[in-house]
Amino acid sequence: MKELKLYFKYIRMNFLAGLQYKGWPIMVLHVMIVVISDPIGLIFLFFRFGSIGEWSMERIILIYAMAVTSFGLAETFCRGFDYFPWRMIRSGDFDRVLLRPCSLFIQIAGSYFHIHRISRVFGGICAITWCLLRQGVQPTLLNALTLILAVTGGYFAYTGVFIMTSGIAFFTIQGLDWIYIFTNASYQVTRCPIDFMPKVLRYLFTFFMPMLVVSYYPASAVCGWGESYLKGLLAMPAGLLFLMLSMFIWRIGVRHYKSTGS
Amino acid sequence: MKTGKAFYMPTLKACLSIFRIKTAQGLQYRMAGLAGASTSIFWVLIEITVYTIFYTYSNNKEAGQIAGLSLRQLVSYAWLAQLFFLMQPMRIDSEILGKITSGDVAIEMCRPIDLYFHWFSKTAATKLTPLFWRGSITFLVGIIMPAAYRLSLPASFSGFICMLISFASAFLLCTAFGMLVCALRLNIKWGDGPTHIIMLMGGILSGAYLPLQLWPEFMQSFLLVQPFAGYLDIPLRLYVGTMLPADAYWAIGLQITWAMIFIFTGRSLMSVRLKSIIVQGG
Repeated sequence: MKELKLYFKYIRMNFLAGLQYKGWPIMVLHVMIVVISDPIGLIFLFFRFGSIGEWSMERIILIYAMAVTSFGLAETFCRGFDYFPWRMIRSGDFDRVLLRPCSLFIQIAGSYFHIHRISRVFGGICAITWCLLRQGVQPTLLNALTLILAVTGGYFAYTGVFIMTSGIAFFTIQGLDWIYIFTNASYQVTRCPIDFMPKVLRYLFTFFMPMLVVSYYPASAVCGWGESYLKGLLAMPAGLLFLMLSMFIWRIGVRHYKSTGS
Repeated sequence: MKTGKAFYMPTLKACLSIFRIKTAQGLQYRMAGLAGASTSIFWVLIEITVYTIFYTYSNNKEAGQIAGLSLRQLVSYAWLAQLFFLMQPMRIDSEILGKITSGDVAIEMCRPIDLYFHWFSKTAATKLTPLFWRGSITFLVGIIMPAAYRLSLPASFSGFICMLISFASAFLLCTAFGMLVCALRLNIKWGDGPTHIIMLMGGILSGAYLPLQLWPEFMQSFLLVQPFAGYLDIPLRLYVGTMLPADAYWAIGLQITWAMIFIFTGRSLMSVRLKSIIVQGG
């Protein structure tokens, strides 16, 4: 409880510091444009080519938006781990964190907070709502629960990716750009309709990093494309499992930490 | 500001050596190039998969052919777009941005060379080096892919030569635009937001997200004359053969015209800004 309080204190401090820069609304706008322009190629393709069998634009955008929202949440509330390999290990600042008698986890998670990252979440939620309305989904309690748990699971999964990267960074220090495949490039995979997706990608993002478990399966269950609610509700445990695996790697990393920098 | 031949010759010489040093420095980051290439390759493979699905299973399969772009051409386009994308100005060179925000710009102004061309050569060099490692690895992987995913040969030999010339002009254009944005950034109070937005707009309109030919029909003539088509769409059209080498004259002319406009406005804007610059820091 004390730690949660500390975390929110950190976030509050970083948030207020961010507001000191008078340009922050423009940064919010900037990320908003990034979020809107990212799927623009896909939308133009649908305009020109029409649907792919039963896979309409609404369906693909819904899956995409679920993944983007989860990623945005992780990026907003766990920015510290996202920055960790770059900002803390190389400069040696991590030594100071180790000295304090508080949870390492909280200190790092709260070390950065950027208000403009919230626009990805906002954009994602708008897109999800639009797609659900277009497909006439019933606003039942079960549907709402499935979606909320899915996004929460997605938040855990992407937080897991950041933590795992930080854990691996203890060993490699540099050359971590490939992790991009599991962050910003991962939700691009959802642009392929699942029936046509190459098996490798499908298995990688289902059984290793559960990106499809938190996006496709809940969306399918809610909109009635054929997957059961049981699979849809798996999103939360899958996300948690991946997060636990990442924490394990992180623990090993911390134990092996040798100071860098001066 | 001094002008005349006596001033420009040393500037040119200094800029060339800065360019050489920075390039040699950047070429040392081989591992970063390799790691970056893995991302580029992953990205291209997803794009190609999506395009293939649209070309084979969508309700209007013929739409791509009607737009004048076959799947084979589109696959080559996707590979090369990753290469050309590397030289687009996505952010201001971190060293230069550091100088603007920390106030070191005052020291830069003391140097007896033209500041615009000094920074121009620095920006150009930092854009060239990722192209060398990351770009060449991506290119090689593209060539050895299985047929459905392969980067195919250029449409014609003359088209390839035109592409190379157009590539050089694109490099000039990208750097010139990056410098124009850099001149805007000299006004510290704005922060990073506006410059990011301007550069992002350029990136979207360049065709890196989707070849401009597949954009909606009514935008086509606008898309071709706007400056950012010169980033990658024009050279790649020449490569895949959707633009004939005979049309290369005006297309490359267009690229160079835009580059000149950007250089001119960038440089004038910079000299205006430097007259009333606020030096930050202590």
